[in-house]
Amino acid sequence: MAASRRQSSQRLTLLILVLASITAITLDYRGPASSAIGSIRNGARDAVAPLQRGLSALFRPLGDFFAGAVNYGNVVADNQQLRNELGQARRQALENATAEQQLSELLAVEHLPFLQNSKAVVANVISNSSSNFALTMVIDRGTAEGVGTGMPVVSGAGLVGTIVSAGSSTAVVRLITDPSSQIGVRLPNGTIAVADGQGRGSPLSLADITASAPRPKKGQLVVTSGLQGAAFPAGIPVGTVSAVRTSGGALTREVSMTPVANLSNIEYVDVIQWLPAA
Amino acid sequence: MTLRVWRRLFVVGFVAVLFQVCALQQLVFLGAHPDTFLLLAICAGLVAGPQAGAVVGFVVGLVADVFMPTPYGLSALCYVLVAFGVGIGTPLQGDRAPHLFQVATAFVGSIGGTLLYEVLMILLGQPHLPRGELTDVIVVVSVANAALAVPAVWALRWVFAVPSRPGGRQVTPAGGGL
Repeated sequence: MAASRRQSSQRLTLLILVLASITAITLDYRGPASSAIGSIRNGARDAVAPLQRGLSALFRPLGDFFAGAVNYGNVVADNQQLRNELGQARRQALENATAEQQLSELLAVEHLPFLQNSKAVVANVISNSSSNFALTMVIDRGTAEGVGTGMPVVSGAGLVGTIVSAGSSTAVVRLITDPSSQIGVRLPNGTIAVADGQGRGSPLSLADITASAPRPKKGQLVVTSGLQGAAFPAGIPVGTVSAVRTSGGALTREVSMTPVANLSNIEYVDVIQWLPAA
Repeated sequence: MTLRVWRRLFVVGFVAVLFQVCALQQLVFLGAHPDTFLLLAICAGLVAGPQAGAVVGFVVGLVADVFMPTPYGLSALCYVLVAFGVGIGTPLQGDRAPHLFQVATAFVGSIGGTLLYEVLMILLGQPHLPRGELTDVIVVVSVANAALAVPAVWALRWVFAVPSRPGGRQVTPAGGGL
């Protein structure tokens, strides 16, 4: 009798808690509480940011140590590859100097709105994603510094992600490799496509490239398309084509792209103060 | 659950938040980091039984969701089910479990909890992890939580004032009540 009553009580408690959780999820999705929950999240993140900032300097090397211990072989190979690339980049820089001068003159003539008007806020990455199920990171700049939801985030190499939530002193960046990330891109041959994130360490997948379009070449640089209503301004490097596959009889090509920005170990990023047209 | 339990739970939860958000999140290994919140839910089920464990799982989940980019309430739902499942699955040994049993429970519970989280993400139409990454997350979370299981159980025994002498769960009158 007592055992039966206890079991009923346990089941009732479980039912109430499950319903309460589902109610919270529903409110977050649709209800008026959604913005309140967002404010609470931003406030909590802002509150712990000073501690995160201080402790990240302490724990980041420890994390790097563990990561390096596991991936020692890759680290050595990466080091060699980076040395090769550095040599190539130096040579390329000399060749590009003239072209760069011509480009700046061209931009001055063309009055491109994005390149002329956009300012950037330099931010420090203070934390990785709080969830193992989303590829995000937290930066130490927020609305107080002019950072807002929807702004693109870039590193020296190219596009890193977009701001999905901004508190007064911190903001959350969703990386371009996150499975929910979609970016409108343009290939060198003019083909427009959508780059979908496929998760950590996986190349981005380019969708909607028809087999009749010119075949992309491996290593080609892919940039944001900046079409009307796009989430990013035009011309930001996103990645390089890493694989092109066309199945027999298929109407579309499968194109993969490796991000140009090193997303696994970023310390500083630029937030471009640019928002999509309403 | 008495006021003293809630006060102690607040202390343990606060320390867990700081430990997770400020320290463990930086220790990325195979692309994933340990999950103290899930560990607390598992240990709550182990120490306090299914009913009180589920309540702790719900509270811990709501706190965790404040720091997560995933839908609010998703962690709470997952942790309620995990804590309840652990409490049901370990009806007798919970509060007097030897260290090896605590470690094994944290290990298995973390595997189940991470898989459940993935399933809930899919059910809610959220983008979910590719299989390879999910395996990495499961490995990292379960191994790390197993390593942290003994201090976590100790902390929750303090919360629920479970005695060190042999006996039943003090906080759960009638075998698991609130």
